[in-house]
Order: sequence, then structure tokens, then C-alpha cells
Amino acid sequence: MRPTRVFKTESFRSAALFATLFLILSWVLLGAVYWIVNDTQTAALVGAIDADINTIKNGYRGEGLPEAIEVVHQRLGAGKYSGADLPGGYILIRDAASGEAEGNLQLGEFKQGLFSVPAPRRQKHRSAATVLGRGVYIADGIYLFVGRDTSQIAATRVRILEAFAWIEGVSVVLAGLGGIFFSVQFMRRIDAITRTCQAIIAGKFGDRIPLRGSGDELDTLSAAINDMLDRISTLLDNLRQVSSDVAHDLRTPLTHLRNRLEEARQKSVTADDYAAVVSRAIDDTDHLLAIFSALLRISQIESGSRLAAFSALSLTDLLEKVCEMYGPVAEDERHALLFDIQRDVRIRGDAELLTQMFSNLIENAIRHTPSGTRILIRLRMSDGAVAASVADDGPGIAAGEHAKVFRRFYRLTSSRSTPGYGLGLAMVAAIANLHHAKIELSDNHPGLRCEITVADRWRA
Amino acid sequence: MNILLVEDDLELARSVSDHFREHGFTVQHCADGISGLSSACESEFQVIILDRMLPRLDGLSFVRQLRQRAVTTPVIYLTTMSGIDDRVEGLEAGGDDYLVKPFAFAELLARVRVLSRRPGSPQEPAIRLSLGSIELDLLKRTVQRSGKNIELLPQEFRLLEYFVRNPDRVLTRRMLLENVWGIHFDPQTSVVESHISRLRGKVNQGFEFDVIQTVRGTGYRFLAPN
Repeated sequence: MRPTRVFKTESFRSAALFATLFLILSWVLLGAVYWIVNDTQTAALVGAIDADINTIKNGYRGEGLPEAIEVVHQRLGAGKYSGADLPGGYILIRDAASGEAEGNLQLGEFKQGLFSVPAPRRQKHRSAATVLGRGVYIADGIYLFVGRDTSQIAATRVRILEAFAWIEGVSVVLAGLGGIFFSVQFMRRIDAITRTCQAIIAGKFGDRIPLRGSGDELDTLSAAINDMLDRISTLLDNLRQVSSDVAHDLRTPLTHLRNRLEEARQKSVTADDYAAVVSRAIDDTDHLLAIFSALLRISQIESGSRLAAFSALSLTDLLEKVCEMYGPVAEDERHALLFDIQRDVRIRGDAELLTQMFSNLIENAIRHTPSGTRILIRLRMSDGAVAASVADDGPGIAAGEHAKVFRRFYRLTSSRSTPGYGLGLAMVAAIANLHHAKIELSDNHPGLRCEITVADRWRA
Repeated sequence: MNILLVEDDLELARSVSDHFREHGFTVQHCADGISGLSSACESEFQVIILDRMLPRLDGLSFVRQLRQRAVTTPVIYLTTMSGIDDRVEGLEAGGDDYLVKPFAFAELLARVRVLSRRPGSPQEPAIRLSLGSIELDLLKRTVQRSGKNIELLPQEFRLLEYFVRNPDRVLTRRMLLENVWGIHFDPQTSVVESHISRLRGKVNQGFEFDVIQTVRGTGYRFLAPN
């Protein structure tokens, strides 16, 4: 897994996108917190400053300048009040007329209102500190400045910034790690799908994508892909089967045809002899063509394309029609064709194919049993399942052969002498499968019984 | 009788044309769909024999365009497309019959003869059919020959109806299977023969003249009784 691929995955991209969104949000939050804290602290400082100004102003109004200076000393812990320190506090009181000044701060110019000045160096605070204060004239020519060191506010600002820096740093790292984790997880599963596809391309058609069983969207997709592969694999097997059938089983009749023609070239002398050979050859060709058609039809049925043409139909009517069709044939072959067909049995299906399925079964019963055999066609519906059966009391077939007779070109030793292609029951099986019907051969004591059961969901 | 053959397989076209000419037909041959369509619209033909897979204009579009131009000449497809859907599609496009290649010429000839008799306008739903001394009541499903009632089973009645609608024409085993029973596969037993022999027995009982003539190797022909 190349590292660059990790960063290109959708999961990594979403993680990155969400991390960015989170960062933007946290900046907005930081701005808000920063502003609120700064504002509150400044307001508190200004409040304290204004309180001091008022106290000093009141002192001046009562007793004049000496009292005001007394109050200043009191606040600063200077003069006789030494020891009562005002941490970070600065006061300057100045009489403009005499130029006399008292306080712990020098000012270059005596502005009024709120302003900042650099803190004097003598303080233990860092030199970068500034003093925020207010300058007022408490009386004509009496200038008062009260200020506070703002390094407390600056420290709070730094702490807020540090906290946010940590939060953002950790978030980015977590988002990055999470993104990489999910990305790697995702890529592992994608790689599993890719590996399966490559294995299939390389010829391992049986490979399937492993499922985690979590039922998540990748599992659902993988299951759908697996189902599709199963279907394709069935079709492929089907196609392969047809090609191999064509290659192998058509070889025999073609060989016969060729031998007959070759013999005719060597032996036949009269025009009648040739005519006989030609007519046999045409029969052989028709036989071959019939095999072709049957094979094509079976593979067409197995491909499932007829499913689209399914409609509700009366199986009762269909079977009665088939019975009427084969009644005279059975009679001519001295068989008895009996039927016991329930009324109003309806299923969903393809009428043409179902007719062919029952025709094939009845024809088998007529052709592969001796004279005098009774053939019974039954149709029953019970518990929502429809069961149709064709049963005879002929010689039957061995239980071991029951499954094999549905294979293409499989012919029982006993029926080799009867003309046929060995495709009739393969076609029956294909049609039954298309209708999701279960087909079962069983011993009829005596004889053979073939039962077709149509599952509930396929009923009309 | 005048036939239009639209077929791009020249070998097959030559053989089919020769056969038809031997049977007294006039055959015009076109090797592609476009020229076939213009011929079909210009001149009068009794039947059009049409390959389904043609260069320039395929068989289905050919028939659709032909029917759009209100040309009602019967069309029979000759095709290698043997699927059930293919046949249904072909007939729905406006074709009248469908014959899968390879085929016996006798089969094609029989179908062309039946198609060429078909009236241009859709058949009126007749209530009674009669041919010579045979009369069919299609509503009551009863048959009389020279006034004598004949009892028939439903499939025997349909068989007789198809014969009476197409007298003096050879009807092949496959045509009977398709038109009487509606099945398009080859049964491995003598379904047609068995039914014919019963119908023949019932219709001819008490009469000298056999109305159903067997044409060896091909099919049957129904002859009008006096």
C-alpha cells in the first residue's frame, strides 16, 4: 500500500475536511473567548482606576491638595503608610502651578482620558509591561493620573492562546491519525475487492470477495458483486457446457453422416441407391439441426431472459390442453392417458415453455414404456404449493439414475434403441428451474413418477 | 404469382428463387433492406419473403416502415434467430409468419401459398364457414357435412376450422402445430398424425370422398367435398 494512496482515499479526505471545519470553528470560538475575557478584565481595571480617582478627588474636595496627597500615599503605601502596597498600581498627582508632583510614576505629557504608558523600569514586573490609566483634572491646575499594570491581562491572553493551541494541535493530530486509520481500513477492503477481481481476471473464476458480516455499505456492495459473479459464472458454465456438448455430442451423428456418404461414394451404383443415401443424409442433417435447436433453446431458457415474459396463467387449462393433445397419441400407442386435474390452479409462468415441459414428460412416458401402460397426470394445490405430476406404471428407472437423466445427452441403456436426443429431460429441468419449481423423480411402485412443485411465491 | 425476396445471402436467394420459378412464381430479389423497401412500395406483390438480418435496414424496421406506409402485403420472415422472443418481436412488428433457417423448401412454399390467399384487409370475424358440403358454426362449435351432424372434440374442431379456411393448399405438420395447437417446438410423437386420423374418421364417416389428402413427406391438403 503506497502512502500517497492513503491520503487520496475518500475517508482521509473527509477526515481532513472535518478537521479543517473544526479548526475554523475553534478559531471563531477563540476570538469570542479572547474578546470577552479582555473586555471583562479591562472593564474591571477601569472600574478600580475610577474608584481610586473618586477617593482622591473626594479627599481634595474636603481638605485640599495635602489631603489628596495623603490619600495617594495611603493607596501607594508610601510615606507614613509604607507597607500597604498597591500591586501594579500607579498614581501621579501634580499641581500645574507649582510643578510639584507626587506618585510613583513620571509622565511626559498630561493627557486626559484613558491611555496607556510604558511601565517604569523599577518595578519587579517585566519591562514589556504597560500601564493603562486615566488622566483627569480634579480641580483647576490639579492633574491626577491613576493607572494599573496590564501584565495580568496579557498573561491571561497568553494562557487562552496556549490552551487553544493545544486543543487545535491535538485535534489536527487526532484527525490525521483517524483519517489515516479509516483510510487504511477502507483501502484494505478495497484491495480485497481488487485482488478478487484480479484473481478472476487471471482465471480463478471461483474466487469471491470476503464479507465482514457487518452489513455495512461495502459489505452490501461486495455481496451484490458476489451474486453477480455467481450469475455470470452460471451463464459461463452454461455456455461452456453447450460448447462442449456441441463439440463432443455432435461428433457422433456427424461421423455417422460422413461414413454413410463415403460408403455411398464407394458402393452405390444405381440412381435409386444414391437417392436412398441422400434421403438418409437429409434425415441425419435434420437430426443434427434438431439437436442444435434443442441445445440453443435450453441455453436460452437457462439464461433467464424469458422471465420478463412471465404472466399469470391457468395451469388447469394448460394441462387439459396438453392432455387433449396427447390423448389420441397415447391411444394409438395403446397407452392409457388418465388425468386428475384440479380446477382453477393458477401460477405465474411462460405458457409456451410450460406446455413444452409437460409435453416432454408425457412423450417420455409414452415412448419409453410398453403397450398397456397407464399414464396419470395429476394437478393439485395444497397449502399454497402447486404440485403437478406425470406418473406411469411402466418399468420405471433405477433410483441411482434419477438425478442423471436430467443431464444433457444422458440416455438410459434401456432407451438407446428409441430415437431421441437425450435432451428432453434436460429441457424439462431447465424450464422447471426457470419457474423456481422443484422437480423430483420417484418410484411409482411400479413405474416412474415425476413431480413438479411450484413454490408459493410463484403463484399468481 | 409475384413474390419479393429480400435476402442478402446470395446462394440462398438463388436457390429459393429457382425453386419458386419452377413452381410458376415470379420472383424479384433485393439484397438489402432499403432497395427491398422501395420495391415493396412500388410494385404489387402477393407475398414478401424477408430476411431478418439485412444490410442497411434490418427486417423488423423494414416491416414497421412498410406497415406505416399502409402496405399490407403479407410478410414471412426467414431467419436464423430462433428464440421465442425473436418470433414474438417479429410478429408484433407486423410480420405474418416466421420460418427459422434452415428450412425445407416445401415448408416455405406451403406457407407462401397460404399467405398469398390471405385478404389484404383484416379478416372479418365470420360466424359461419362453409366449404362444399361442409358447414361450421363457429359460435356453437358445430359441424355438418351434407346436413349430417359431426361430433368433434375442441382441438379437432380447430383443426377442421384451419383446414376449411385454407382449402386446396398443402398445410405442413409444423403449420398445423403452430396454428392449431399454438406450439413452436417439435413433438417427438405423432401428435398431428393421431389427430388427423381421428378427424378424418369422423368427417368421412358415411361418405365416400376423403376430404383430407395426405401429401407424403410434407403435410396435408383439405379438399372441398361436393
